[in-house]
Amino acid sequence: MGMNILLVDDEPAIVTALSPVLQSQGYRITAAESASAALKAAELEQFDLALLDLGLPDADGVEIIGKLKELCRAVIILSARHQEAEKVRALDEGADDYVNKPFGIEELLARIRAAGRRSGMAAPGGSTRFVSEELQVDFATRDVRLLGEEIRLSPKEFALLETLCRHAGQVVTHRKLLIAGWNDPHADSQYLRSYVALLRQKLEYDASEPRLILTEPGVGYRLEASPRAE
Amino acid sequence: MPGPTPRQRLASLFRDANAVAGDALIFTLATCGTYLAQSWDRPISAVLIYLVGVTAIGARSGLAWGLVAALSASLVYNFFISEPVFRFSTPSADEWIPLIAFNASAIVSGALAGRLKDSVRLARTAQEKNAHLLRLSDELQRAIRVEDVARIARRGVPFGRLRGLEIFLARNGGFLPAEGGSLLETADLLPERDDAAQQPIGQRILFLYGAEGEIGLVRFALERGPDPYYDMPDLQGIAIILGLAIDRCQLLERLSENAAMQKSEELKSAILSSVSHDLRTPLTAIEAAATSLQSFDQSLTPRDRARMLETISQQCRKLNRYTANLLDMGRIQAGIPDILFIEVDVIEILGVVLAAIREAYPGQEIEKHIQSDLAVVRANPAMLEQVIFNLIENAILHGNSEQAVHVVVTQAAGRCVLEVLDFGPGITADEQPLVFNKFYRSRSATYREGNGLGLHIANGFTEAFGGTIRIVSPHFEGRGTKIAVELPLTDVSVHQVGSWG
Repeated sequence: MGMNILLVDDEPAIVTALSPVLQSQGYRITAAESASAALKAAELEQFDLALLDLGLPDADGVEIIGKLKELCRAVIILSARHQEAEKVRALDEGADDYVNKPFGIEELLARIRAAGRRSGMAAPGGSTRFVSEELQVDFATRDVRLLGEEIRLSPKEFALLETLCRHAGQVVTHRKLLIAGWNDPHADSQYLRSYVALLRQKLEYDASEPRLILTEPGVGYRLEASPRAE
Repeated sequence: MPGPTPRQRLASLFRDANAVAGDALIFTLATCGTYLAQSWDRPISAVLIYLVGVTAIGARSGLAWGLVAALSASLVYNFFISEPVFRFSTPSADEWIPLIAFNASAIVSGALAGRLKDSVRLARTAQEKNAHLLRLSDELQRAIRVEDVARIARRGVPFGRLRGLEIFLARNGGFLPAEGGSLLETADLLPERDDAAQQPIGQRILFLYGAEGEIGLVRFALERGPDPYYDMPDLQGIAIILGLAIDRCQLLERLSENAAMQKSEELKSAILSSVSHDLRTPLTAIEAAATSLQSFDQSLTPRDRARMLETISQQCRKLNRYTANLLDMGRIQAGIPDILFIEVDVIEILGVVLAAIREAYPGQEIEKHIQSDLAVVRANPAMLEQVIFNLIENAILHGNSEQAVHVVVTQAAGRCVLEVLDFGPGITADEQPLVFNKFYRSRSATYREGNGLGLHIANGFTEAFGGTIRIVSPHFEGRGTKIAVELPLTDVSVHQVGSWG
């Protein structure tokens, strides 16, 4: 493992609380308490991931996402609830994911792991299969199995599921899914809702309380499944 | 009392002509009567008849016409009636008496008639001025703000020689125009050099008085006129009425300011007492658990340690929800712009809420009855999440812990209906309208740990989404509370998922 993480937060208590836990998980941590300090640190050293609080003393965190993303392989936003518009803007700016404040450490670790996997998979060609404990998806043969049982999906359903699987554990915005399914970011999001509902009916035990394809209200969807190491 | 129009002038000419014709008729009749009496050799009656005629004309048309009639009567009497007929003669002593009598009666009756007419005109003018004042005070009753007073007062002009008026309010040693404008010094308001020959309009300034003395002044613009009284409205009276109306409006403003202030004071103390209770309780638990772990880590059993850690994170989640509620209350107070609203599927949001509820209240049984696959409404997703979370949490806190909370989603007549049902003691009819108030806590015995904001926020957000919220209690065998949220569906939800793909 040994991901190199840049933690950008002006609140010392957060830095103090997170650093030892993240270090105990094998990550290397560098803290920066402002936007300028973060950019300076990122220019000096290659980071695998930046954890970015949006409320910084010297700049709106969203403004430095673009630059930070050029310097680090992944960016995760620490954001307050109720600010979907801000989250969507941050994701459009290039952020890979977000964690709602306040967060449990397990949730943060899951996001970090997902971001690490994602940047590892981004190699040319990418992966051809997604295998988690319950779900198996073969991107080439379009074979989908839930607990070993074959599931038949329409091409659009498959396109959506493939996108979610390729970002497993990470949020995927409505916009990204509309491009994946309809090749048009401005397509009616009603189509998307309907196809996600269909996917849930086929994949979830209880479609009204999904555990696999989670809703991120106002932002997008998240596949809650971690791929098994093969 | 505006100036006469051409039409009115014509009418008054016509009235004058009529009056002259009437006088001529009276004069002619009197002449005939006199002539007849004279020819029947009744000279005294003849003179008396003429006298009556002249008196009548004097009384009818005033002094001038009376004298004209008296003079004519003298001439006619001398020429036609008294000997020698058809010739003017030097009147004898006998004939002087009728001549003097004619003129005297004409003078007396004319003067009397003139005075009468004057007082009638005076009375009518006074009545008009009174009516003007009454109308003004009547209309001013409706004024609520000082600007209304100024607007209504201006509607009453022009009246007679009053061409306009401006009201100024006493402020900080100067005077502020009631209908907006910058502060004026007293010197700015004093009458400019009054050159009667040059200016057709003059002005007069009167102070306005309220219960506590001078509250402002009114500047009247007046047209110059020859008559000092008739066309001049009762400026003093107008000033008194304006003063009273402005005083009343200012009192009203102060009263409503006081009421608003008191309300915000009440809210502040409600917030303070809520914060001190709902923030301190979880903080106390966290502090106790954390310090115990610090001090007695070695002597605690692993189970106790786990319980304390669980307490800490549970209370943290509770604090988080409470601060979210406080922030939401602020949002409702500030007004929620619908720019935040997008198309949201109620059922999808319900799924998100249920996941959070299962985490916050593990072991709580929830029964779902969901009729459709999609129910799309216009709302803010996070706020809708809060509405549904608060309703279910409320049902858990006030319900019967032995029984499941029911969540029902149906669609009818273009609306999505989400109902949350508990089987607790219910809410009494007189308490039902109160439960949506800020910081209202149920009096019922099963009250466990609500913060008095949940339903207030659910109600405020639902209304912002254009929906309604209502309570049915009891709903089942004399027990239980059902809270139903209705939201208008967007037309896209008419499609059902089954028809796709």
